[in-house]
Amino acid sequence: MFRALAMSKVQLVIPEQVVIPATEALAASGVFHPTLNRYFSPEDTPDHASHWRDWVNAFTSLERRIMDVMEALAVDEGAPPTETPHLIEPDEATLNVKHLEEETLTCVRELENQKQHMAQLQRYVSQLQPVYELNADMDTVRNLHYLFAMLGTIPIANLERLRSSLEHVPFRLVTLRRDQYLATVILFGSKRDAEVLTRAARSAYLNPLNLPEMYRGTPAEAIAALQTGIERTQERIDGLQANIDRLHKERIDHLQLLLWRVRASRTLAQTIAHYGRLRYTYLVEGWTPTSRIPVLQESIDQVSNEVVIEVSPPQLRNEAGTPVALEQVTLLKAFQSLVTTYSQPLYGEVDPTPLIAVTFPLIFGIMFGDVGHGLLLLLAGLLLASRAIKKLRGWSNFGVIVIACGVTSMLFGFLYGSVFSFDDALAARWLQPHVDIMSILLTTVGIGAALLSLGMIINIINTALLGQWGHLLFGHNGLTNLIFYWSLLGLAWNMVPTMLGVETGIQIPQAVTSLLPWLAAISLLATALSEVLENLIEGHRPLVKDGVGSYLIQLPVETFEMFISLFSNTLSYVRMGAFAVAHGALSQVVIGLAGSGNGVGYWAAIVLGNLFIVGFEGMIVGIQTLRLEYYEFFSKFFTGGGAHYRPLVLVPKKEA
Amino acid sequence: MSVTSVSTYSMVHATVRALYSMMLEPDTWNALVQARDLDTVFGILSKTAYSSHLILKGITPRRAVYQIRRRLADTYEKLIRLMPEEGSQLLLWLWRLYEVDDIKAVLRGIEARASWEQILLLLYPKPKHALLSLETMQRMVLSGDVARAVEFTRHTPYYNALVHAAERYKAEKSLFPLEVALDLEHHRRLWESIQRFGDLDRKWALRIVGSMIDMDNLLWAIRYRIYHHLSEEEIINYTLPFGYQVRDEHIRAIAAGADIVEIVKSIYPEIPVAERLGDESTAGRGLQALELTLQRRIATQCRAAFIGDPFHIGIPLGYLMLSEYEIKDLTVLIEAKASQLPIKTFERIMVFQSTAYADIAAMR
Repeated sequence: MFRALAMSKVQLVIPEQVVIPATEALAASGVFHPTLNRYFSPEDTPDHASHWRDWVNAFTSLERRIMDVMEALAVDEGAPPTETPHLIEPDEATLNVKHLEEETLTCVRELENQKQHMAQLQRYVSQLQPVYELNADMDTVRNLHYLFAMLGTIPIANLERLRSSLEHVPFRLVTLRRDQYLATVILFGSKRDAEVLTRAARSAYLNPLNLPEMYRGTPAEAIAALQTGIERTQERIDGLQANIDRLHKERIDHLQLLLWRVRASRTLAQTIAHYGRLRYTYLVEGWTPTSRIPVLQESIDQVSNEVVIEVSPPQLRNEAGTPVALEQVTLLKAFQSLVTTYSQPLYGEVDPTPLIAVTFPLIFGIMFGDVGHGLLLLLAGLLLASRAIKKLRGWSNFGVIVIACGVTSMLFGFLYGSVFSFDDALAARWLQPHVDIMSILLTTVGIGAALLSLGMIINIINTALLGQWGHLLFGHNGLTNLIFYWSLLGLAWNMVPTMLGVETGIQIPQAVTSLLPWLAAISLLATALSEVLENLIEGHRPLVKDGVGSYLIQLPVETFEMFISLFSNTLSYVRMGAFAVAHGALSQVVIGLAGSGNGVGYWAAIVLGNLFIVGFEGMIVGIQTLRLEYYEFFSKFFTGGGAHYRPLVLVPKKEA
Repeated sequence: MSVTSVSTYSMVHATVRALYSMMLEPDTWNALVQARDLDTVFGILSKTAYSSHLILKGITPRRAVYQIRRRLADTYEKLIRLMPEEGSQLLLWLWRLYEVDDIKAVLRGIEARASWEQILLLLYPKPKHALLSLETMQRMVLSGDVARAVEFTRHTPYYNALVHAAERYKAEKSLFPLEVALDLEHHRRLWESIQRFGDLDRKWALRIVGSMIDMDNLLWAIRYRIYHHLSEEEIINYTLPFGYQVRDEHIRAIAAGADIVEIVKSIYPEIPVAERLGDESTAGRGLQALELTLQRRIATQCRAAFIGDPFHIGIPLGYLMLSEYEIKDLTVLIEAKASQLPIKTFERIMVFQSTAYADIAAMR
């Protein structure tokens, strides 16, 4: 729970003839994290790599073509298949895709053409409707002896420009109809000026109505013929659409399977392109969780007994590239995302997920203690976690965190005696933050000191796990530093509450108190000389890197910085108390704003005020909690920067 | 200086100032111009603000230009995000100038039967706010047909203009009407987005973007008359009736056959104009010089935005235009170095001649 799964390095020697089924088996096992082969990089055997890369390119292009066909038939890619599909050869896939394209795209293109034709016919009708009652043949109007006439459409934005461009020529421009972008117009002028008028009309994008032969006659006759044309075109569109619908039904499964098969084949080819290669064998390297080695072995044995598998003993310490497989119980997975957002733990170091699962809601609850507000968060969290709303399904993990925060808010709400901002609704089981300010501030500093101490203890464990003994003893968050910190805390325990007039009720025995200054001085000295002592223990030379002079100058500065950083880290936790006070004060403001009465205005102010607190202050408290976790707590022990464990899969697993 | 403008532009101003300080220094420019070869150019650029965009492995001149443009796309993305609604709209339309060029490149590519790989490197990198993704543009190219390609712009503000102009393309088999329709539509929208501002912002938007619209409109009118031999009516219809300093009457006068040099002098009395502008055989260099002079004039306006009250749209606009010119010059430089042209040949076609860079540094 506190550490990533132990990993073993796995090396496989795969005979050429079984490389495809063996790779499929590796993927099917779902536990093998491949790495680039260090000894035989693909560059050394360009032919092998380029063959597989050609396949990758071919599959990429095929995938795109399949997607085009799917788009044309309105088929979505569907869920990944439950069983991993086997590799399909590019030639076979190409034949398949070609056939699908022929039967689909021809039909779809024809449908597009018919739709465009339909739109054109409708445009003709729309242009002719304003002159419907004109009882003259359109050709006669066009071929008048003394008059130039042009019926057509023009962008509305160009109308004025056309008018102004013709100021030297007599003309008449009649707007018959205005749509959103286009106007239907008729341009009249003298036949003598036909060329000028034509050039002007054309440059203003006045597209003349050019009716095909079959639609000529009077406008009424043309419209009637066009309506018949529209009906016929509609019939053709319906026929084509029915054909496409039929193809959709018949081909949907085939298309989805083919798509996933091509995708899987591309991943497979991509993986093999990264294998090392000898004359007749492929060399494959990777990582597998030690506990899953039998799964891998079994998977490979099912396809061939000629594959040699060499498994190294479990990796004890981090080595560059060792992937980190975190495995947490379902409830903790949500908190794992908080850790990985910061960084993936390094292989071998403590996974702080269980700790953050406890400390995050605790810190949040202290700052946001109110039974009602917590209840609202709890309900919101349950809604998110239930995945009931489709659009919010991606937030289900976040929902678990909100639930935990809601529960602790309610818990502290009982302790503070606050329900929906009413601080007298319940008797406070502990204290009221905005009344007992000093107590809550000192308590939260105490919690902070405990958390920082915990952080340092984990750091000591981490360094022990990594075998960094010098660092364990004298490092900046090592044992001597912890002793120094505790000595200071011990000294402060007896002094600070007395200075602030607060009673702790617990007194450190005199014998211990008298030892504390000595302990502090010795541990401070050891921490100050950490570089020299660490190098001494770990056998690194020279003991001082940049010369003694430079070291002596740095020494007091770094020691002072360490002291200040311990002090500020501890004080940083006072914000927990401050926010608890602010939460109480804000609640008072809401109650104050609502006034005394019992009417609609009063309850509206209470409801809106509480919603504001939950939404706005809740967000700020969430951010502050995260800040305390990341910058104060994690910085004491967490290195991070580990590689993600990404087992080879040919198709993604179905979402649960 | 109002409280609103301070609150609106303080973040933008701080960001732009930081970006402005990263523009190439005169010493760097001198080193680039004097560089022996392309490798030296890339070596120098890899130590500048462009380093994060340059991938030196397998670099070619085309790729380098594409990667350098990425910086401009990223800057637009950043500033559009920081700007208030009206300002971000203007910046969006200014950015779409490149998108319009990309659509033209795609349509020309389709006509020339070029492959997607050939066209790709001519395009601008696509930031998040791009209306047409690279994937859509690839589909346009793969459709192999101009009219079909236009259909892919259906959800963009260019669609109506393009689909209407496509009727003429079908009849004339020339991309000219499509390209002009696209330019006019874009510039109209750009102009509209300037009109939405209050006094101070409008003044700066006009000085910078209005001057750019002026330059385009004027050069279109001159080119239509000299090279395309279009009629008066056609020139009027293919140009814009509005502008900052270039008025409709100037365009109409050019369309009607008036002396171009005199008109240009009347609009910009302070700039030198080549006397041979009106003649097709000699106008080429004169027009190129006019375009460069106008670009340098815009650059001066852009630099002026950084002096005095800093809380207005002139700051981001000025920086973006200066960045564009810097990238334009880098493109000229990279192509010239790739072709091993002598310094004299390419230096005079750069917006900022080496002497101009000293001015920029002095103003920073």
